[in-house]
Amino acid sequence: MALFLEQVVNGLTLGAYYALVAVGLALVFGVARLVNFAHGEFFMLGAYVLYFAYGVYHLPYGLAVLLAVLGLAAFGAVFHRLIYQPVMHRVWHVQLIATLAASFILANVAIIAVGSTQRSAATPFVTDVFTVGDMHVAYQRLLVLGVALVAFVALQQFIQRTPQGRAMRAIAQNREAAQVLGVDLAQVTRLTFVLSAALTGLAAGLVAPLYLIFPTVGSLLTLKAFAVVVIGGMGNATGALVVAFIVGLAEAFGAGYISIEYRDAIAFILMIVVLLWRPLGLMGRRVGI
Amino acid sequence: MSLGRAPVLLQLGLLVLLVLVPQVIQLSYLLDVLIVTVMYVGLALSYDLIVGHVGSLSLAQPAFYGIGAYAVALLSTRVGWPTVACLAAAAIIAGLLALPVGIPSFRLSQYSFAIGTLGFATVAQLVAQNWIDLTDGPMCVTGVPKASIGGLSFATLPSFYYFVLAVVIGIFLFTRRLVGSRIGRSFAAVHENELLASAVGVSPLKYKLLAFSLSAALAGVIGGMYAYYVNVVCPTELSLFITLNLLVILFIGGAGSPRGVVLGAIAGTSLPELLRLASSWRLVLFGVALLVIINFFPDGLEGGLRRIERRLARRSTSA
Repeated sequence: MALFLEQVVNGLTLGAYYALVAVGLALVFGVARLVNFAHGEFFMLGAYVLYFAYGVYHLPYGLAVLLAVLGLAAFGAVFHRLIYQPVMHRVWHVQLIATLAASFILANVAIIAVGSTQRSAATPFVTDVFTVGDMHVAYQRLLVLGVALVAFVALQQFIQRTPQGRAMRAIAQNREAAQVLGVDLAQVTRLTFVLSAALTGLAAGLVAPLYLIFPTVGSLLTLKAFAVVVIGGMGNATGALVVAFIVGLAEAFGAGYISIEYRDAIAFILMIVVLLWRPLGLMGRRVGI
Repeated sequence: MSLGRAPVLLQLGLLVLLVLVPQVIQLSYLLDVLIVTVMYVGLALSYDLIVGHVGSLSLAQPAFYGIGAYAVALLSTRVGWPTVACLAAAAIIAGLLALPVGIPSFRLSQYSFAIGTLGFATVAQLVAQNWIDLTDGPMCVTGVPKASIGGLSFATLPSFYYFVLAVVIGIFLFTRRLVGSRIGRSFAAVHENELLASAVGVSPLKYKLLAFSLSAALAGVIGGMYAYYVNVVCPTELSLFITLNLLVILFIGGAGSPRGVVLGAIAGTSLPELLRLASSWRLVLFGVALLVIINFFPDGLEGGLRRIERRLARRSTSA
């Protein structure tokens, strides 16, 4: 029973992690109509910001996380300018190839700059466990869950209540009509990239201490996040959020009870099954965020 | 291709040149670069069937290539099948595996096809690494014999070069024939406008699946050739960076044109090989090259060639 509950907590933590990454991806897809294959590399960059700020320069952990979030937000704007904006009006597969190229550039520049050695930036909360009966849970995992929940509520409020959020929804629902009514496409997509990258930076700040950090950490993550987004319904942030937790739990239980080697395949298998059964995803509509 | 006899002569000349190359180049390093380049030409032609002609962005090509390599490696070492049977099996296995990948992935949208095929490529690599009983995982399948057909052995570099050249010329002629046929026109119809294609009775799903499966089968053959060439097959052969390489090739050359793809493969394979770049730098360079090409030279080399041809044609008519 204790093992079962521990797996539930592990699954929820993984879910929060995937959700932070996948929601950003879904936002970018919904608003900018872009399949961003460099999204996992955003996470990698965030993880290295945390590693250098916290692991090497020993800044306080909270400050290091803040740096990861702000650094990535700035990087999101740069990415928008250098990668997305030049291909903004091109066909979708040219845009996709641009992001794929960006992903290879980022991962390999990281290999050249810091080497492919696996690094760790474990916080004391990783080894500090919270014990109830036979169940042990690292405080870091609780931190991931708590902060992620706050972030999702904040994001939801932002999208629903602010003028910027309304502009994002307008572009997602009908790009042409929104532009006719004076919504600036470049500005709204830039904001979306900033938000999406910042969420990924937050994920890196929270989750990187639990795992090893290396330059190619992003490639599998991008794919899993995409699987989550496809299962949830392309461009549907709520769908991505819910499915991220389902995938997280499935992976935790799959690794705990079936096979650890194939844990990384679970998301794709789920994706194929869902696509066969509901081609638009679990919560799929044609558009919307 | 209606420029009279010149292209035919050009092609024959090129063929003679390609056949003579091993007689001139004795350096095994250069011959090795040439063999790899020719293999990439074949792989790029197979990739162009699905990306250039049908317009579906598949990211699964390394998986089919790797599956072909493993099929040859396993069938030749464990079952002892001869070369031709192994290569045929590589094509059939890769071609058939494309169907269960393609059917769900084509369903939602072009996006889901890209993501689904990328997911498949990742799962295939995981399986190659972890299904130790079948693939020996990271220990690799070793001892793949040299290729031979009948009494003909392709053990030396020049002889293997001819073998690869023959196979790739076969692939070139096949894809060109296919593209010019009724099926090829259906591919083009699906590429241009799926709705319109289905309205005139050309089923988009059927032709996309056909292109995807053929493309996978050809990639499987090239993978099998690679297994015969290096005699060892490792899970790293399924690495996703092959996709990047192929995209660079297709976009340097100009997707959808056999000539452009061949030129692109030569530029995209020989140059980095001869520059002897470390793999990380090479990938950075490829990434940057890809960004530059799609932003500034959207038609690639083929676009440039067409402009030159048009100018020549204009000059000859005005003269």
